[in-house]
Order: sequence, then C-alpha cells, then structure tokens
Amino acid sequence: MTTLTYFPGCSAHGTSEEFDSTLKLVMKTLGVQLEELPDWNCCGATSAHVMTENLALALPLRNLVLAERLPHKTMGIACASCYSRMKATKAEMDAHPALAQKINSTIVEEGTYKGNVEVKSMLQFFYEDIGTGQIKAKVTYPLKGLKVACYYGCLLTRPQRITRFDSPEYPMSMDHIMEALGATATPFDFKTECCGASFSISNTEVVLSLSGILLEMARESGAHAIVVACPLCQSNLDMRQPDIEKKSGITYRIPVLYITQLMALAFGYPLKDLKPAKHIVPIEPALAHIGEEIESPQKTPKSKKAVEAESEVE
Amino acid sequence: MARVGVFVCFCGANIADFVDVPAVVAEAKKIKEVKISVEYKYMCSDPGQQMIRDAIVQHRLTSVVVAACSPRMHEKTFRKALSDAGMNPYLLEVANIREHSSWVHQKDKKAATEKSCDLIRMAVAKSIANEQLHEISVPVTKRALVIGGGIAGIQAALDIADARIPVVLVEKSPSIGGRMAQLDETFPTLDCSQCILTPKMVDVASHPFIELLPYSEVLQLDGYVGNYKARIRRKASYVNFSSCTGCGACWQKCPVKVPNEFNMGIDKRKAIYSPFPQAVPNKPVIDAEHCTMLLKGKCGICAKVCEKGSIDYTMKDEIVEREIGAVVVATGYDLWDPKPYEEYGVGRFRDIITSLEFERMVSANGPTGGVPVRPSDGKVPKSVVFIKCIGSRDEAKGIEYCSKICCMYTAKHAILLHHKVHDSHAYVFYMDIRAAGKGYEEFVKRAQVETGVTYLRGRVSKIYQKGEKLMVRGEDGQLGQVVEVEADMVVLATAIYPYKDNPDLARLLGISYDQYGFLSEAHPKLRPVETAKAGIFLAGCTQAPKDIPDTVAQASAAAAKVCGLFADTTLKKDPMISVVNPEFCSGCQNCINVCPYQAIVTEDIPLGHGSKELRTVARINEGVCQGCGSCVAICRSMAISLAGFTDMQIINEVVAI
Repeated sequence: MTTLTYFPGCSAHGTSEEFDSTLKLVMKTLGVQLEELPDWNCCGATSAHVMTENLALALPLRNLVLAERLPHKTMGIACASCYSRMKATKAEMDAHPALAQKINSTIVEEGTYKGNVEVKSMLQFFYEDIGTGQIKAKVTYPLKGLKVACYYGCLLTRPQRITRFDSPEYPMSMDHIMEALGATATPFDFKTECCGASFSISNTEVVLSLSGILLEMARESGAHAIVVACPLCQSNLDMRQPDIEKKSGITYRIPVLYITQLMALAFGYPLKDLKPAKHIVPIEPALAHIGEEIESPQKTPKSKKAVEAESEVE
Repeated sequence: MARVGVFVCFCGANIADFVDVPAVVAEAKKIKEVKISVEYKYMCSDPGQQMIRDAIVQHRLTSVVVAACSPRMHEKTFRKALSDAGMNPYLLEVANIREHSSWVHQKDKKAATEKSCDLIRMAVAKSIANEQLHEISVPVTKRALVIGGGIAGIQAALDIADARIPVVLVEKSPSIGGRMAQLDETFPTLDCSQCILTPKMVDVASHPFIELLPYSEVLQLDGYVGNYKARIRRKASYVNFSSCTGCGACWQKCPVKVPNEFNMGIDKRKAIYSPFPQAVPNKPVIDAEHCTMLLKGKCGICAKVCEKGSIDYTMKDEIVEREIGAVVVATGYDLWDPKPYEEYGVGRFRDIITSLEFERMVSANGPTGGVPVRPSDGKVPKSVVFIKCIGSRDEAKGIEYCSKICCMYTAKHAILLHHKVHDSHAYVFYMDIRAAGKGYEEFVKRAQVETGVTYLRGRVSKIYQKGEKLMVRGEDGQLGQVVEVEADMVVLATAIYPYKDNPDLARLLGISYDQYGFLSEAHPKLRPVETAKAGIFLAGCTQAPKDIPDTVAQASAAAAKVCGLFADTTLKKDPMISVVNPEFCSGCQNCINVCPYQAIVTEDIPLGHGSKELRTVARINEGVCQGCGSCVAICRSMAISLAGFTDMQIINEVVAI
C-alpha cells in the first residue's frame, strides 16, 4: 500500500474542510494511505513570500526537511498555494546549493535538506501516480449527464519550468479525470485565468469582476458545475457568487466543487459525505443532472494533424 | 647564406606618428642576415614597390620582409612585387607593425617602437627558413548544381546558364516554383506573384544550358571545389514524361483524395497530381504513399483513362550521377509551427489560420477561389485579426530572431482582405513595424491610411470563443489598456523557420548550420553567399529569412560567384596547405577527426621499400585543404607540416624575440 505524506495547509483545516474530508475518502478507495506531516507550518503564501526572500524560502524549507524525516518518497499537497510555494522552494534549493545551505542554516535544528522528497499537487498525484484507468476502475456511480468546467487556476500548472506538469495554458489532466468519472468536461477557455485570488479580502471588486468572467464563461460552455483543486479558487467562485450576481444582475447558481468531492461521489460515497452544507451555492441541483441522457458530446475540432493524416477514398 | 631585405613603411602618419621608424630601420640593420633596411612613406605605392624590386636585384636578396600593415591588406601586392623582380613570391614575410603595434600602442611610442623591432626580428627569422612555394592548380568541371527550385534556385540557375555554363537544377517536389508560386500578390507593389514567376519557370524548362531534375533529391556529394560528384535520386513518378501530354484525365478520374500541400491542406488533391496548373514540368506524378494501386494493387483507373499509355506502375527510383564544379544551395524555408501558443487556442479553434493559409485563400487560383472563408463554417469573415511575431522574437515560446518579412506580408494581407471583402475590417497586433526596404514604409502607411487597417501596438494574451466569434484579448500599449477584439478569423504571422532536414543536408554537403538549422555563410558581412567550403554557395531563405528582392539578389550573387569560379579552366590555390610526411605518419587518423574541411583521406602504402604488406597513412587532398593547421597541431608524430608555416619557421620566430 502506497503511503503519501499529506500536507493539508491551513485551509484544509478550515474553509476547505470538505476538500480534506473527501480527499481522505477518495484515497481510502484508491488504497493510498495519508500520513499528515507532523508539526507542519505555514507555507508562507500570500504575504511572507513577497516580503523577504529568507522567510519565503525558510518556511517551505522547514516543511520539506520535516517531510524528509518520514519514509515516504512523495509529499502530496492539497492547497494550490502551498503546492506552489513548496515546489518553488524545492526548485530554488536544488538549483542553488549555496543558497540552500544559507537558508538551511536558519532552521538547522530541524535537519539538513537533502532534496529526496518529491512534491506533488493532489491533481498531479491522481493523474500521474494513480492514472485515469485506475480511477475509472473504482467508479461505481458514473457521473453521466453531469457537465463540468474544469478550472485549474493560476498555480497548479505554472510556472511550467517549476511544475513540469500538464500545459500552463490549456491543461487537460482534470478534464481527463472527470471523463474517467463519467462526467462531460466542457470546452472551457478560461481554465487558467485568474480568479482574483487573495484580493478577495483587500480589494473585493477585483474578485467580483475576474471571478464574474469565469462564471460567465463556464455558463457559456454549458457546464452545470465548476470543478477546482484549489481552496482559494473555490472560495472566490462560491462565496463571492451572490455578490457577483448582485453586481451583474445575472443569476448563475453554478456550484463549485472540489475534484475530490466528485471523485468521492463517483466512488459510491453518499451525497452527505460531500458536506453540501459547506457550499454557498447549493450543489444538489447540478448533481441532479446525473443520469440525464446527454445529446451527442460536443465534437472538439479535429486537430490539423488529424485532418492531414486522413486520406479518404470516394 | 641568407640575404634579407627589410622595408619599413610609414603608412603616412599611421605608423610614423607612433613608431620611431628610423630607429626601427637602424635596429633591423643590426641583424646579421639583413643586407638592406630602408624606410618609405607608402611602401604599397608604385615607387615603394619599385624600391623593393630594385633592392632584390641589387642585393641578390633571398627573402624580403615588409614591415607595414596587416598581410590581409597588402600581402598580395608585395608578393606580386617579388614575382615581378623574378623572385618566388612566397619568400615574402609581412611584419604587421600597424594593426599590431602603432594603432594599438598610440600612447607609448617607446614600447610601440620596441614591439615593432621585435615583430621585424621575428619576420626576418621566419623568412630565412621560407621555402619556394608554387600556386596549386586544380582542374575544374564547368557545371553547376543548384539544389532547390524556388525563386532563389530559379534565379541562380538562369543567371549561371545565361553565362553558357551548364546547370543541373534539382527540385524535390514535382514542380519548380517553391513558396513564391503559393503567393497571391507581392509587397510592396502588389504585382501578381505567379505572373512574374511563371515566365522564369518556363525559361528554366526551355533553357538549353539547364538540366531540370524535378521530383529528385541529392543523396551524396563527394569531391572538392571544381571537382564534385553528386549522386541524385530521381524519385519514381510512375508517369512516362516523354509521352504524357499533361491532359489531366488521370487526376480528374483518380478516386484517392489527399490533403493538398500546395494549398496548405485547405483542400484535397488526388493521388496522381500536378501541384498547380502552371507547374513546370506540367506532368503529373503518382504519390506512392497514397496511391491504392501501388499500396494494395487495387484501382488502376489512371492507367485505364490515359490515352497515351503513359502510366507505368513498375517504375523504380533511379540514381543518377553528375560531375559538377560548384553548388548553389537554395532549399528555402518552412514555417514555424505555432502549436506552443496554447493560450491562443491553436489547434482548438479552426478559424485561427496561418499566414500562408490566408495567402492561399486570397489567391485567385486558391482553394476558395480568392475569397477568405472561415474553415469552421465557410462564412466570409468580416472582422479579421492579424497577429504578428508568432514564434519570431519570442524567447519564451519561439525563436529569438526577427523573421523579417512578416511586417510586410501582414500589411499586404490586411490590404488584400479589404480588396476581397469590401465591408471587412482588419486589426493588426504588432510589437514593432519593421519596414526597411524600398517602398516598404510607404506600403505600411497605405495599409494604415488608405485601407484603414487598425494597428494595435501590443501582444495578444488570449483568444477564446464566444458564440461564433473569436475574442482576441491583447494589450494596446499606446492606450495602456487591455482591449478585446471580436474576430471572425485570426491570422497568425508565423515565422520563417528552416526545414527540419536542413542539418542533414548540411552534413551531406559538408557545410555548417546555425542553432536553428539555417545554413551558415562564410562571413556575415563580407562573404554572405559563400559557405566555409570552397565551391558551395547559398541563396535565399535557407541561409536566413529574406524577402523576394533580397533572395533574388543573393541568388544572382551566388551565380556571379559560380561564374567567377569557372572563369578559368583551372583553379589557382594558395600553396599554404598541409603536407603529410608518410615516413612519420602512424596512421592514427586524429587529423581526419579534427579537419573541418574533410580534406584528409587515408591511403595504403607499402610497409617498407618494396614490401608487399601495406600500412595506412593520411593523405591531404590539395583541392580541399584550406591551410587552417588543425591537423598539424593534433598530429602526435609531427608528420604533418603546413607549407609556409613549418615548425622551423615558427621556432625561428620564437627564438628571435
């Protein structure tokens, strides 16, 4: 049985509790054990990483060093911001040994950084380590009829030189996982656009306008729901939706679900395990589409290569 | 006993102001082999040369040292002076006391003077060991090979053939014409590309001095300047060209449809096809990769409908050999693949096309009858966004260089759009407008002012679909704002990029290429059409992005170089090349590995005098060796020496200082 070092980040113990709980259910079904990193600390996202270089690197480095004490070779991170900070720090440490030594000296009592633990987002872990085939095999309640817009946000695939995962502009990993669950992923051109992130608190207007565009485009794509793998994206799109609706005068009512919530549902867990009460926009109406007959799936335009390769006989 | 003459030049004030010339002359006199040491204001002038000629005779000199400017400047001049005085010209040494002394030590006359004395001592010491050398004479085959039948190859072939020199023109596709045949109108005059190109194509076909080998490729090139041998594969066309009349019955009846390369895959051609109506030669070929008769033995319709019985399914590729003296490489360009621009939805949105696809659409003989249409629904676009620098000047996603022609053809496309669709509007997103060329800036102004094209200075960050429209989001840098343009169609100005098999071609020819795959010229400024390999020249976009005027100019320049090379029946070559002493050669072949010109081969010689056993030694090909000296440096048994730069000469120089 695989064991994964689990880094929940602060939101998984608070606002994104439903991400945390459904993640645990999904992992159980997939046969993956989670060991939460003991004594983990703040990753430094949102303030520390722009204030001082030392703190920006030392905070994630401490977590990396702690992870190296465990016997597991991969650390899975639930929050996209934590993932970004950890991955960026690891890249910086591996590229500049002298800097690594200097930063390490500030947390010397925790141990010496060796760089032998891999850092992955949960999305990346599902896609690369589990694979869509395995996921599909565990589905007992196919989500046929449900149309979802997969929203990756800005951090899960960027910057590419650091993440080295999927495409930075038009990723498809989450789309493929949704298809494996039986759902239909809609063509969503805004899957890596900004939601407004932490401006939610300091300048809410920015979030209302940016997340507003995302909702509009998700609706345009024909989606019943938006799927995310980032707590901040979820909170902006869900929690700010009433304000966005008030501002624009358009009623969206598009629920915003974590990838693990839909996985759990497809793996046969009951609706209540998804913690519907945690959502501002109710999730039930969207989930009611499951089981509906769908019109023939929207044909994605053939790539030029495919057209070229084709040679037909009259 | 050596008798050396030293001739020190003032070079006006260039040397004399910073070097104490009389002191240098006096110092040179002290060297025991120096029989005469004199100074003159301009040694390269007629009286200066006369001074040298007189001294050679009067003092029975055995070698001459001229202390003046760089040998690159006047070595030839002084060698000729020696020849005129009846002396072997290679007994000359030049001490460069201008570039190496007076110019670089202008603040310290004493040091410059001392250094000049040193340079002269070295030159004198070297010259004592100079040997009489004689120009090498290499026979020449007066026939040129031109690779590539685009406008560059056509122009080069015609220019060479007009000088009554036979040309073999090899083109890989069934017709000559290249990229220019695909263009509609040309900037900045908007004259029809086909109309100015096709007469030249016909000239090629009918020229008595041009042998046209279409549907062929060069496999191998052996030999050296003036004496190359090319092996060329003539791909099987499965059509007997001598009886085929080009009537077209075969391709009308052929049932197999294949994406049409000439139209950038917008429509289909048949498996037996002639690429376009004005093709030269205007004979069809069978595409063996798609013909069901050749693949599965089923069909045979073309043979049935051919009244002349010209179809021959049993035809095989044929290898031909041609002896040639010089090569012009004019293989043209490919387009940079815009796939990395995922934020534009390249590959997802069918109404994003490349500039060459647009060019085919607006061409009168194109797949859409000269009107641009949206590939998704066939509607005529009213709002078209052109995005420049796709790939070019983009270190993150593309290549660093400027593709040079895109600013101009985008202006042309915007104008042509308006000509074809009167109620349309064109938007151009650009970084800069690079319109350096005769009539170019005026042409861009015409697009902006007369046609009313909206030019927006900034990059496009995203394209997304909204209903039937493509929403193009970009920055208008002049407003400092993000703008969104609703477009029916987007045209990407993709960069010129070398063909991916250019490196293979370069290796085959023994020439070099750059990090992108463009073939390298010998010198970026002063030898722009030559390669580092003697007798091989470049023309057109295979060397770097170029527009048609530049391509034609370079092709004519390459042709002039070929004609110059063939002006005499033999080639004269500097004798400063490597020589192998087979007695010392151990046959390790390290020299072969380091030779940048592939000038060294192996040969087997008797192990000893009269012995029947053989051993392998290196041999220098006189025609190819450029005298770089790499082999001399690598040779561990000191078996190779460079004429004019022998070990003894170099040691003498070192000992003299």
